[in-house]
Amino acid sequence: MSFAGRQALWGYLLVLPAVLLVLGLVAYPFSYAIFISFTNRVVGNAGEWVGFDNFRYLSDSPSFTRAIRNTITIVLVTDALKLVIGLGLALLVNQEIRGRGVFRAFLMLPWAMPGFVAFLTWRVLYQPIGGGINPVLSETGIHPEVIGWLGQKSTAMPAVIIATTWRGFPFWFISFLAALQSVRPDLYEAARIDGTNAWQRFWSVTFPAIRPVILVTVLLSSIWTANSFENIFLLTQGGPSDATMVFPVLAYFGMQTQRLGEAAAVSVAMLPVLAVLVIVVTTMMQVDDD
Amino acid sequence: MAASRRLESTPVAPARRREGSLRRSRMVFGVSTYVLLIITVALVLFPIYWMVITSLKMPREILRTPTLWPQVFTWRNYDELINEKEFLGYIKNSLIVASCVTFISLFISSFAAYSLVRFKYRFKGVVGRVILFAYLTPTSLLFIPLSIVIARLDLGNSLQGLILVYLTFSLPLSTWLLQGYFRGVPRELEEQAMVDGATRMGALFRILLPLSAPGLAAVAIFTFTGAWNELLLALIFITSEEKRTVPLGINYLITSDVLPWGTLMAGAVLSSLPMMVLYFAAQRFMVKGMTSGSVKG
Repeated sequence: MSFAGRQALWGYLLVLPAVLLVLGLVAYPFSYAIFISFTNRVVGNAGEWVGFDNFRYLSDSPSFTRAIRNTITIVLVTDALKLVIGLGLALLVNQEIRGRGVFRAFLMLPWAMPGFVAFLTWRVLYQPIGGGINPVLSETGIHPEVIGWLGQKSTAMPAVIIATTWRGFPFWFISFLAALQSVRPDLYEAARIDGTNAWQRFWSVTFPAIRPVILVTVLLSSIWTANSFENIFLLTQGGPSDATMVFPVLAYFGMQTQRLGEAAAVSVAMLPVLAVLVIVVTTMMQVDDD
Repeated sequence: MAASRRLESTPVAPARRREGSLRRSRMVFGVSTYVLLIITVALVLFPIYWMVITSLKMPREILRTPTLWPQVFTWRNYDELINEKEFLGYIKNSLIVASCVTFISLFISSFAAYSLVRFKYRFKGVVGRVILFAYLTPTSLLFIPLSIVIARLDLGNSLQGLILVYLTFSLPLSTWLLQGYFRGVPRELEEQAMVDGATRMGALFRILLPLSAPGLAAVAIFTFTGAWNELLLALIFITSEEKRTVPLGINYLITSDVLPWGTLMAGAVLSSLPMMVLYFAAQRFMVKGMTSGSVKG
């Protein structure tokens, strides 16, 4: 066999186990989910093809429409907060200051914690009895009355957003910090010689250099946030009365009712938007080796 | 030379004044940087602080007016968690699952990444893309069909079943990350070894893998923590108490007790401590993996 032929054969052999597992564990269930969403399958009965019935039913369901609204709100607001906080902190820590490593390590901690620990801790923090938010607010005189943050409609969503941002911002911070450190210093020097101020330097040098990183971070984080289950499940379970309900939690509860067709339709309904995000981000992340 | 020095030194007074004000404004800037950073760090650390002190408080103190500092320190919550709940059993299950997932993923993905980075064949671009797609496919989309697949394989409520479904996220993740680390190793080193008589496998095991050791360690930590932290799939696939993993066991503390904040936070501390130590120790080479879009945030 020729050298190229042998090389190709080795290449196929080595990648085969991974490809088979990915096809069996991701690609097959993925297409299966789409198929199930068009059936009235329940646990123990494969059901039959019902076309778009599940989706029609969902579009009339108030929980579902709330879940769409809430998912969009959570993604947009946490993205904006994480962008501002992550970029701000990265710019601060990127200066030549003492103790830079210590600050970086501390700011990474929320991300080093397991997600379930982070959100259970926030659940405790928000409690009217035993929580930490109320005593801080009353001792600093900001708000003396005790609030059950997760229990009332008006505060549940902001509470979820704050906890999600706390857990998520370190990823942004570290990505931006790494990007900032790879900006060529001579570009700043040139801009300084041109007599620009710090603000102009940010927009003419820093921002263009880190724009690709910002874009990938926003896209990745949006995909993850839109699909995150534990933040909502552990904090509010989607309550009070669907005020914080999102897709993954709705699909999980749907599965508990054993109506698999409908439950699958919940997660498949978000697929079109997700697919666009995923295709864009994979195009940006893909590296082709020759 | 002398002329230029004279030229520079002529406007000496205004220059010095400007330098002084520059230094002053820089100092103000520096101080405000510190103040801002310290406030942010304090805010960021407060939840962790609350987790730790709640775990060290007496239950009656937690439920009374909460104090920012415990009046009595106690190990009672930890004692209850370990001796009355099955916490050590959860730890054991999580260790088994996370280690197996890490080992299997690293093994299979080392081969896959080696193939994708170093070999030439048709459809390689497609394979690389499929793996990236798989990595970005959310669990929330897969858990319903996976439950049917696992039931069909008769692996429901077993740690083996859990290990298998955890490969859905760990395998694409580790393949994607390892590709990045392998690309950083110069191809010439392997070619030289093969000229000297090493086989392709020899080049992988003797050259590429040892040289990517920090990368392998980082990938191992990412996959291990991914499996250690996973809740949704565990909720669906594990139904009996003795098979619960740590996140699952801790989650069920909420439903089984009334306001179990002390034990809950003791469990939170114990299950996050090893992870945080790991991250601190490996921080430097974790950052590269994290910034190549690896870990959810």
